[in-house]
Amino acid sequence: MKDTANNYRLEMTGIEKSFGLVSVLKGVNLKVKPGEIHALLGENGAGKSTLIKILSGVHQKDAGNVLLDGETIQPKNTHEGQMLGINVVYQELSLVNDLSVAENIYLHKLGANKVWMNWKKLISEAKALVDSLGFSIDVTAKVRNLSIVQKQVVEIAKAIAEDTKVLVLDEPTTVFDPNDIKKLFNNLRRLKQDGVSIIYISHHLDEIFEIADTITVLRDGVDTGSVAVSETNTDAVIHLMIGRALEDLYPIRTIEIGKKPVLVVKNLEGKRGIVKDVSFSVNAGEVLGIAGLGGSGRTETGKLIFGAHRKKSGIITLNGVEIHAKSPVDAVGYQIGFVSEDRKEEGVFLPLSIRRNISVTNFDSISSKLGFINTKDEYKNILDLIQRLNIKTPHSEVDVKNLSGGNQQKVALAKWLSIDSKVIIIDEPTRGVDVGAKIEIYNLINEVAKKGVAVVVISSDMPEIMGISDRILVMHEGRNYGELSKKEFSEENILRYAIGKPLKQETLIS
Amino acid sequence: MALSIKQQLNSPGGLLKFLVKYNTIFIFVLLVIFSAIISDVFFTSANLSNLLKQVSGIGIISIGMLIVILTGGIDLSVGSMVALLAVIFAMLINVIILPLAILFTICIGFGLGSISGYLVAFQKMAPFVATLALMTIARGLGFIYSNGSPVTFKTAGGVFMSDFANNSTLGLPNISIIFFLVVIIAMIMLKYNVFGRLVIAIGSNEEAARLSGIKVNKYKFLVYAISGALAAVAAIVVASRTNLGSPNMGMAWELDAIAAVVIGGASLNGGRGTAINTLMGVLILGLIGNILNLLNVPSYPQQVVKGAIIIFAVLLQRFESK
Repeated sequence: MKDTANNYRLEMTGIEKSFGLVSVLKGVNLKVKPGEIHALLGENGAGKSTLIKILSGVHQKDAGNVLLDGETIQPKNTHEGQMLGINVVYQELSLVNDLSVAENIYLHKLGANKVWMNWKKLISEAKALVDSLGFSIDVTAKVRNLSIVQKQVVEIAKAIAEDTKVLVLDEPTTVFDPNDIKKLFNNLRRLKQDGVSIIYISHHLDEIFEIADTITVLRDGVDTGSVAVSETNTDAVIHLMIGRALEDLYPIRTIEIGKKPVLVVKNLEGKRGIVKDVSFSVNAGEVLGIAGLGGSGRTETGKLIFGAHRKKSGIITLNGVEIHAKSPVDAVGYQIGFVSEDRKEEGVFLPLSIRRNISVTNFDSISSKLGFINTKDEYKNILDLIQRLNIKTPHSEVDVKNLSGGNQQKVALAKWLSIDSKVIIIDEPTRGVDVGAKIEIYNLINEVAKKGVAVVVISSDMPEIMGISDRILVMHEGRNYGELSKKEFSEENILRYAIGKPLKQETLIS
Repeated sequence: MALSIKQQLNSPGGLLKFLVKYNTIFIFVLLVIFSAIISDVFFTSANLSNLLKQVSGIGIISIGMLIVILTGGIDLSVGSMVALLAVIFAMLINVIILPLAILFTICIGFGLGSISGYLVAFQKMAPFVATLALMTIARGLGFIYSNGSPVTFKTAGGVFMSDFANNSTLGLPNISIIFFLVVIIAMIMLKYNVFGRLVIAIGSNEEAARLSGIKVNKYKFLVYAISGALAAVAAIVVASRTNLGSPNMGMAWELDAIAAVVIGGASLNGGRGTAINTLMGVLILGLIGNILNLLNVPSYPQQVVKGAIIIFAVLLQRFESK
């Protein structure tokens, strides 16, 4: 017994950290053994990121102890952390866009010891590493030209290219489809066998239960203790995370779906060639889910309808009238709204206040003909929305960068709720959002549909898309390969269509 | 919704935070006090009105520069535009009536700015490159039209403008009143008009702006055109002050304008900056020149001091963003 007690790779005890007057960590303990996959859970703002940043050297702790293999460590920056063998794959990608994949993977070694680089060796090593992960990526390609999934793979490759003792993965699968996740998990299991300690942060409980050995839950800056995965279940963990039982993640849908289609898309083809031939329709009050693997053209379909990317051919009609949205400006004119999957780059204005963010789509109703803004109307509208969407903020003038992911997402949604939209397209509605905010966003989508808006939800989160959609369109290689009615919903059916296979016979009969 | 000044001062570390937040005003006040102590001449009306006259031209183009910088762009052409437009104004005033000369000059400024705007917004050219080209072209055209020598005002309209530019109203030099009017209009447009909101939104995240259905290209085009029109206003002001239009006017003014905007706390990445702070930036730069002149410091060391002040101001602002 004594042996195992001392056998921890990493022991963080009594960690405390405050930023100004805000105390984020109030004595957190986290103990990880070698070859253990340890899930770190908690809502946004619970202190997970701060704890990891103290471990990696980004932040300095105020109190507490960190032991690595029994020795006290206190890395002052991420470089020192890396030298100790602590590597973190952050949620926000931290690659250099203009360097090649190989250069990014070995960035820390560039110019470290030698004056000259052996490019041949570097490239072949990088290639071996990426291949061993089971992904095919050209290691000489510029990172800028990679898909977001490939970027995440490079990020992971970069972390394990070093002698890693503790590997931290912060929401590594948000951009992955099920196939990629499988590959990632195989890699994690391999690292685990090599004795690497892995700290795995995710909002996807199903992933946690598949891959992790132990769970530690953080809530409001304290840990609620560690439990073995085999001794707990989803409900118990959610209860630990949000402090209350979670009856149902998804709202009950009792909306009467309109008879007439609002949005009809026929043989849509994009100029970029990602979307080849897509046809579907959405009725008033209906939530249509679009599923598919990464790269199948889900996001591109949304962007084509919204005019953000140019279409090559195809007909789009809105309430029976053909529309030609050549730009988002046109689409907004047709009362179509779009929430991007890439919240920080395309969804919100991080340095601007909540008020300035939400108002950008709404100036017509709060300003005079000459463009002068009626601030009284503006504040009224904004405060209404903050309350309606339950955006957690002291006031409307807080910069959006200071909000949690869930609240940022609500701001991105609020832009389209403050104006009357006929169609709202939402790409990955809850990426990087905690359970509590997820429920609120699902309810919001439900509420929007209730008003007769046609809603299109694009998502790679299968429980989510099945939970909130009335119908699911599954895309495969740029085409709408199949459509599932509510009674046909299952992960298996979505996956079969997504990889271009017909459903199994028995599900077809019912 | 913002905290009152009193609340800010009473919060912990409040005084320091307050000073950092309003650092441009704070530096400005310090400089005024310093100048008043160090020189008897400083607080004379002759010196102060001279100071205001000196900064008005650069001040007007700084406001144009601010609006461009707010979108994340830059306009290097404004100094040369002042020269070209001053020459054009002097030529026009000698052949047509004054109101038309003013109107045409401003329209030509708007048109020249539109060229940069078109290249940046619709041809996706880097602002630095597009306006660098315009800068060379404008300077060259100034020399061509004037044959390399100043064009003097010869008509009654010229006399009127010269009188106007060198006189004061209620103790304020007339040309500084024009400058202040430009500042006030910019303040109102940036704070209370949709134009300003969208310009700032574009500067803080262009892609998000595009996907919000904002006419990004239109506004990017407009800011350069406005900057050109303001260069015309500045040209009229400086030409009238000296009674002539010279192709050598406005040398390196674009750099002073950028400096003023930066000292005023604006971010060159766009999305952050206000007209009132740019006004402070302009006054700070002018004050430094003024006090160093009063102290008989030669012009070369003056440039070194100016550079040091820019660094100091930007370092102070880094505190603020932390």
